[in-house]
Amino acid sequence: MLSKNLFKSITAGAIVLGLGFSLAYAAADDQIKARQAEMKANGKAIGALVAIIKGEASYDAAVVKASLDAMATADAAAGEAKAWDASSMEGATVETWAKPEIWAEGSDIGAKYQAWVDARAALAATTDEAGFKAAFPALGAACQSCHESFRRPKG
Amino acid sequence: MLGFTAFWLLSAPRPLPASAIPAHTANIANGEILYTTGGCRNCHKPKAEQAGLDPNLPSGGFPLKTPIGVLYPPNLTPDAQTGIGNWSDIDFVNAVQRGISKSGQHLIPAFPYTSYAAMPVEDVLDIRAYLMSLPPVASPRREAEIPVAFLLRRGLGLWKFVGLDTASWQPDTSQKPGWNRGSYLVNGPGHCGECHTPRNLIMARDNSRFMMGGPHPEGQGKVPSLHGLVETGRYKDQKDLVLALQNGEVFGYEHMSSGGMGQVQANMAKLPQADVEAIAEYLISLK
Ligand code: HEC
Ligand code: HEC
Ligand code: HEC
Repeated sequence: MLSKNLFKSITAGAIVLGLGFSLAYAAADDQIKARQAEMKANGKAIGALVAIIKGEASYDAAVVKASLDAMATADAAAGEAKAWDASSMEGATVETWAKPEIWAEGSDIGAKYQAWVDARAALAATTDEAGFKAAFPALGAACQSCHESFRRPKG
Repeated sequence: MLGFTAFWLLSAPRPLPASAIPAHTANIANGEILYTTGGCRNCHKPKAEQAGLDPNLPSGGFPLKTPIGVLYPPNLTPDAQTGIGNWSDIDFVNAVQRGISKSGQHLIPAFPYTSYAAMPVEDVLDIRAYLMSLPPVASPRREAEIPVAFLLRRGLGLWKFVGLDTASWQPDTSQKPGWNRGSYLVNGPGHCGECHTPRNLIMARDNSRFMMGGPHPEGQGKVPSLHGLVETGRYKDQKDLVLALQNGEVFGYEHMSSGGMGQVQANMAKLPQADVEAIAEYLISLK
């Protein structure tokens, strides 16, 4: 019967559509979680460097390298997970503190990201305590300037 | 009609008379410290596209987005046509402490005169002296993009009965000088409470929740509480908080960059050491 078939196909369509939606949710949620995991890793990694800057820990080239490696790993994992795609803002159910301005026209998120990559490279090239202390502020400033423009405060 | 007349009378601006200006020898260095603490340039800077304008001078025009619309804080350089060059002392004091423009209109309290009102008039005159020492920049004002601005401005006269406390800041004699200096900088020029104290239904600061944090007044995210900064383990001690205010995320301190705090922190970095220590001493006393 026609009406029965129609009913069936509508139901099937609805299921497919519904599935599609929940997949979109899951995708955006995972992207956001990956972004936040990247940033949490950054927060943890910078902690060890700040301890040296503040004189709470003594300079150790191995600690510096491990921290920068952790940031590079977090950065790569986030790229893999498409954590910075605009699609992460569509249909998400978990809370994000990323501002939509990141994806707006004229946004300089690319430059802010590059400044962070460059600051990491400059720090990685240092070989002693004096060099480390001179190069560190640029790294902190890179985190700061991106958050200033593109992150909402959590409260 | 009667209602409207009452509205009109009650909402009229009540400027200070010229006699409110004391005899005073201006101290430009003090003016610069208060200008920095007050973050005047953060709002009154030029717009990025206004090529050729020095971004370090408060020539105005940078859009300030608020929930009621976009405002363009005007030119504060001593240009006679477009800035404050031919303002008198009382014009300036009425703008900064009563929210009344030179032409006698109410100013919108996105301009935090509600905090600046707590400053002694002498300090406001010092800020004016500092501004008058800057090079003049010609940059015409741009009208705010807000619906029914005329009525809204007039209506502010009613709001000011509750939203504008004109009492001057008073020292607490049971506290040390450092604490008092910090209390003054935070509650007067620093206008920290404009963000850190939540607002009530009519958008006035709710002092029963003083510095307790809440929704961001510009509408994005939340502002943290400034109580118990040491007790909750956010900062180890006063020294740690001083480092955080001076260096922010450059030293890996979280929660010092977003929602306008980055600019406040950058201003703190420019203050004399003793003033930052005073601010920290006062803040950690908020339990
Ligand atoms: C290119 C921009 C950018 C750079 C560079 C950047 N961040 Fe972030 N950060 C963000 C954004 C956006 C968020 C909010 C993410 C979200 O909630 O979806 C964030 C969030 C955070 C968080 C909070 C994470 C959470 O969910 O609790 C921490 C901690 C953090 N960043 C640390 C750092 C550190 C440390 C650096 C530098 C080493 C850094 N970030 C560099 C954009 C950036
Ligand atoms: C949070 C942003 C902000 C800060 C900080 C700020 N202002 Fe303003 N200011 C404004 C806005 C917005 C206006 C215009 C209000 C209106 O149009 O009703 C304004 C107006 C003024 C006016 C009136 C100008 C005119 O031509 O009518 C003066 C004077 C002024 N501000 C001085 C200062 C001084 C001095 C400081 C620092 C102590 C300061 N402002 C800090 C936003 C700010
Ligand atoms: C324009 C609004 C605004 C003003 C004005 C402001 N703050 Fe903040 N403040 C914030 C926001 C938003 C945050 C959270 C930032 C983040 O998470 O990156 C914050 C964070 C802080 C923190 C960190 C709190 C924590 O839990 O670690 C301190 C300390 C602080 N502010 C002190 C001050 C002081 C002192 C002043 C005045 C001189 C001030 N603030 C003025 C919005 C403001």
